[in-house]
Amino acid sequence: MSKEIDLGLGVLDHQLVDSEGRRCGKVDDLELEGVADGRPAVAAILVGASAWRGRGVLGRLAARLARGRMTRVPWQEVADVEATLKLRRKASELRLGRGDDRARRIVEWIPGAR
Amino acid sequence: MKNLLQVALGILAAIGGFVDIGDLVFNVQAGAAFGYRLLWVVVIGVVGIIVYSEMCGRVAAVAGRPVFDAVRERLGFSVGLSALIASEIVNFMTLAAEVGGLAIGLQLLSGLPFHLLALVAALALGLVIWVLPFEWIERLFGYMGLCLLVFAVAAIKLHPDWSAVADGFVPSSPPGDRLVYAYFVIGLLGAAMTPYEVYFYSSGAVEEGWTPKDLGLNRANALIGYGLGGFLSLSLMIMAGALFLPNGIEPELLGTVALGAQVPLGTIGLLLALLGICFAVGGAAIDTCFSGAYNLAQFFGWEWGKNRTHAEAPRFTLAWLVLIVLALGVTMTGIDPVMLTEYAVIFSVVALPLTYLPILLVANDRAYMGRYVNGRVANAFGVVYLLVILVVAVTAIPLMLLTNQGQG
Repeated sequence: MSKEIDLGLGVLDHQLVDSEGRRCGKVDDLELEGVADGRPAVAAILVGASAWRGRGVLGRLAARLARGRMTRVPWQEVADVEATLKLRRKASELRLGRGDDRARRIVEWIPGAR
Repeated sequence: MKNLLQVALGILAAIGGFVDIGDLVFNVQAGAAFGYRLLWVVVIGVVGIIVYSEMCGRVAAVAGRPVFDAVRERLGFSVGLSALIASEIVNFMTLAAEVGGLAIGLQLLSGLPFHLLALVAALALGLVIWVLPFEWIERLFGYMGLCLLVFAVAAIKLHPDWSAVADGFVPSSPPGDRLVYAYFVIGLLGAAMTPYEVYFYSSGAVEEGWTPKDLGLNRANALIGYGLGGFLSLSLMIMAGALFLPNGIEPELLGTVALGAQVPLGTIGLLLALLGICFAVGGAAIDTCFSGAYNLAQFFGWEWGKNRTHAEAPRFTLAWLVLIVLALGVTMTGIDPVMLTEYAVIFSVVALPLTYLPILLVANDRAYMGRYVNGRVANAFGVVYLLVILVVAVTAIPLMLLTNQGQG
């Protein structure tokens, strides 16, 4: 990917979509590397309630209330950055969308859910 | 030709879908209190919703983003979360008011006890959403909501003083209590520009996969659909000004609104009015219910969509199910739906800037919108309305308290 991307406006808080077109979380925070030696780069996308801790006062509060886990998605898994961030693999392989997977077990109890 | 027909059908559904319990309550009460003098506010409100719906639809078609994607991307997590909480509270109050309104409408039609009908209303709404494809829901409630056009006929039959009606489209110095007048100005703006309308509109546009090719459809939908919806609002106010004001009737009950069609048109008028109210309010209940689920899903990144099966978007599904159950709970406490509506409309005014500011920002961003960024006209209107909304948002709650909800 050689296009110019604004991390603040173009990546952070954007929708993640897996290789099958399933929505599977937001870019809740970013993990940077190489800041100390002057060559900063995005190492990974952080997804999940624990990642909200770095997102302001309300974020800290929400992270504490939600007590969710955090998934780290290496930047190499990002296929494209458009309106959404397209991922190279299925959500389940990246351990994303697990909240929806859990909720599905409940919803499937109701007749006609599929 | 088939396309044209589809556009026409969509617009018809939009007209029926515009009027909800907030419009019914505020337009009729304003007409009963101030006659035709507040008609101009309806026009301002309707132009506002047209401007921002068009912008939302354009952002959805070009950038592929519904409102709460834009809210979070533009305002960040913390401020975005505040916007989410505010909009969820307001949305839920509106939903509860609509469910209560539907129960009252059913009660007026059937004479059965209110609590039973509240249960019936919530179950029916849940079942309709669960079973029917979305397009059918939209059309069923939209078309049946058109029964409200009976109020336009009623307004004409009541022979209003048309020159006084015409004067009402120009702001004039308020008679009587200025604060109450100001309260109604704000309520009417809030009722016309209710935020769930744009959440629902933009999410629908994303779901239908709009592209820049659909921008003509977007403009037609916003302009004609909401424009004619505004026509219904005007009819309600003129009816109230011609019937309730001279007779000193204060329409504090939803049933009184239906009276406005019964007096000039008899039983058939009453029946059409009640049917129209039930379907308009029921349709709005479904819209608000979905909006609540859309906003949550879009903020947190869950899978969402009415065109997916319920199991494919499970948290989205659970969200709207829970919202209906909670709304039923609120209705069952016996809280007066008309009073709840007034609170919902006034509080929604406070949440408006947090909804409309991010949309305006995104619609102006070339990185998102390319050559479809706001033109000068859209920006002029957008900025003016944002200022109006800010003023209104700051004054809404003080006015509500000072005027004892418009009762002086």
